[in-house]
Amino acid sequence: MLVDLAHVSRRYGQVQALDDVCLQLEPGTIGLVGNNGAGKSTLLKVLLGLLRPDAGHGTILGVELAEAGSRLRGRIGYMPESAATVPLLKGVEFVALSGDLYGMPHRDAQRRAHEVLNYVGLGELRYRRLEEYSTGNVQRLKLAAALVHDPQLLLLDEPTNGLDPAGRVTMLELLRDLIAQTGKSIILCTHLLGDVERLCQQVVMLDRGRVVRSGSIDSLRVGAANRFELGWEGNGEALVAALKHAGVTVERPGEAPMLLVTAPAGAGTGLFFELAARAGVVLTHLKRDEEDLERLFFRVTDQHPPPVHDHAPAPLAEGVAHGN
Amino acid sequence: MGIDRAHYHGWEGKLRWPLLGCVALVRVALVQVFRRKSYWFVIALCLVQFLFFFAAIYAITQATVPVQTQQNILRTFGFSAEGPSGEESGYTRFMGRQSLVVMILLAFSGSLLVGSDFRNKSLPFYLSRRIDRRHYILGKLLAVSVLVSLLTTLPAVVLYVEFGLFTGSIDYWLNDWRSLVAVLVYGLVLCVTLSIMLVTLSAYLQRMAPIAITWCSLFLLLRRLASYLANETGYPAWLLLDPWHDIHAAGQLCFARHAVSVEPQLGWWSLAILASVCTLCLAALVHRVRAVDIVQ
Repeated sequence: MLVDLAHVSRRYGQVQALDDVCLQLEPGTIGLVGNNGAGKSTLLKVLLGLLRPDAGHGTILGVELAEAGSRLRGRIGYMPESAATVPLLKGVEFVALSGDLYGMPHRDAQRRAHEVLNYVGLGELRYRRLEEYSTGNVQRLKLAAALVHDPQLLLLDEPTNGLDPAGRVTMLELLRDLIAQTGKSIILCTHLLGDVERLCQQVVMLDRGRVVRSGSIDSLRVGAANRFELGWEGNGEALVAALKHAGVTVERPGEAPMLLVTAPAGAGTGLFFELAARAGVVLTHLKRDEEDLERLFFRVTDQHPPPVHDHAPAPLAEGVAHGN
Repeated sequence: MGIDRAHYHGWEGKLRWPLLGCVALVRVALVQVFRRKSYWFVIALCLVQFLFFFAAIYAITQATVPVQTQQNILRTFGFSAEGPSGEESGYTRFMGRQSLVVMILLAFSGSLLVGSDFRNKSLPFYLSRRIDRRHYILGKLLAVSVLVSLLTTLPAVVLYVEFGLFTGSIDYWLNDWRSLVAVLVYGLVLCVTLSIMLVTLSAYLQRMAPIAITWCSLFLLLRRLASYLANETGYPAWLLLDPWHDIHAAGQLCFARHAVSVEPQLGWWSLAILASVCTLCLAALVHRVRAVDIVQ
């Protein structure tokens, strides 16, 4: 087990940063998502052994939380969100410094610095001063600094932050390769749910200090099999009333003229046409809802996605079905 | 700049004690200072001064130099002709002058060595490795101390060794071992006080201009003020306001009976004041470093 936390809580004054967090994570790639103030940073601090919880217990990489500290950080590589560079140093010196601070013998740190810089694609730039590195290269450099002591677990805090689309793709490709080649476990803390979807097998969703969902992304999507997007022309209120009367759960995603509905178990799409005919409206859009991580996140945290201020009419999905 | 899969290998060595991370911090700090070309001007000034003293000792100890010239040199460089144990004031003068130049270097390098860690948010980088806040503070204090020692204590020790070598016997070292102890203690006072004050100031002010202005105000304006008050009132205790005087006086406590420029009783007060200031600065520094969030 990579992480096994039981009833972990942490409070800062009046703020409950972590509230009875229970978490079991298998080795692999894990996305840690949540809004600002959800408790991600506090959880990362606990995972890094920087913070002792007020209550609860658990293990990280087999190390008891109570004993976690510098020993644990020797087995974890942390890539901070901020630029975090040291002026006047060269790339290879910066990465070697990271190795020194992790406790590697200096010669080993220097040798590994060259290796990991080559690996992340900065081999040619290693003798340049850090001031000359672009944002994308600084991100790679920080990844190299986190990898230098060959940790079992990598904690990456917003690794694609501030990157242009090409830089983001390159970084994701690099991480994917790292996972495939070295088999390291990665905890990816990010606001970009697309990154989590592309890289991670498991996800942990935090909201107001609580874990609202955790598990493999595929298993979390299972519940979406009988969810549909529904578009219509005519009296919407009558349609909604008919749907509710038939036991269909109705959600309104934002202000768009579109409903997200969950049909009762065993009901087919024909039910919707039947109900629409009864309510006197015409269905213009019916598509099985393939819930992405973003929608899953909004659903489990009881939030609505921010409205899109776009005056163009809502696009018709490709899967419009009439008379199905 | 693609991914080079061929170069990734695992590492299976043993990690060392986190305290040794302080050595890495010192090494990096020295690299940073010596890599900035403008600092070499100040370092060159220190070197020139050292060479003057080196040449003076050579002239004093060689019989080929006329006696009158030797007397002039003795007076100019502060070395006493009173006897074999009369050289302490020469070392004091040397270290005092060197440390004046070092003060200028420190005023400009505080921002680079410490301020930039806070300004560039590099502190989370350091503290998320195996070292913790204590190691970071200790590493930075050591870095400044090593810089101060390299330019004050180490050359003074070299001068002491030179004096003994040129006298042609080991009697000088045997009889005047107190001079060496005095040099080392004075160096220690300089290192401890200057490093704590500079690191604390740099952690709060962060940028070069505010650090340099405050640093100069502390060591020049207070010096002027203390001197003015002492002269006007005729009460020498006002000199205790001047941190430079305090460092000098505390350092001279070890230079025994030839420490003529400072009243002996003020020396102990100076030491007490320095100890209080350093304690307060350390408390403020710890508070400042603790306030930084490692995971933001």
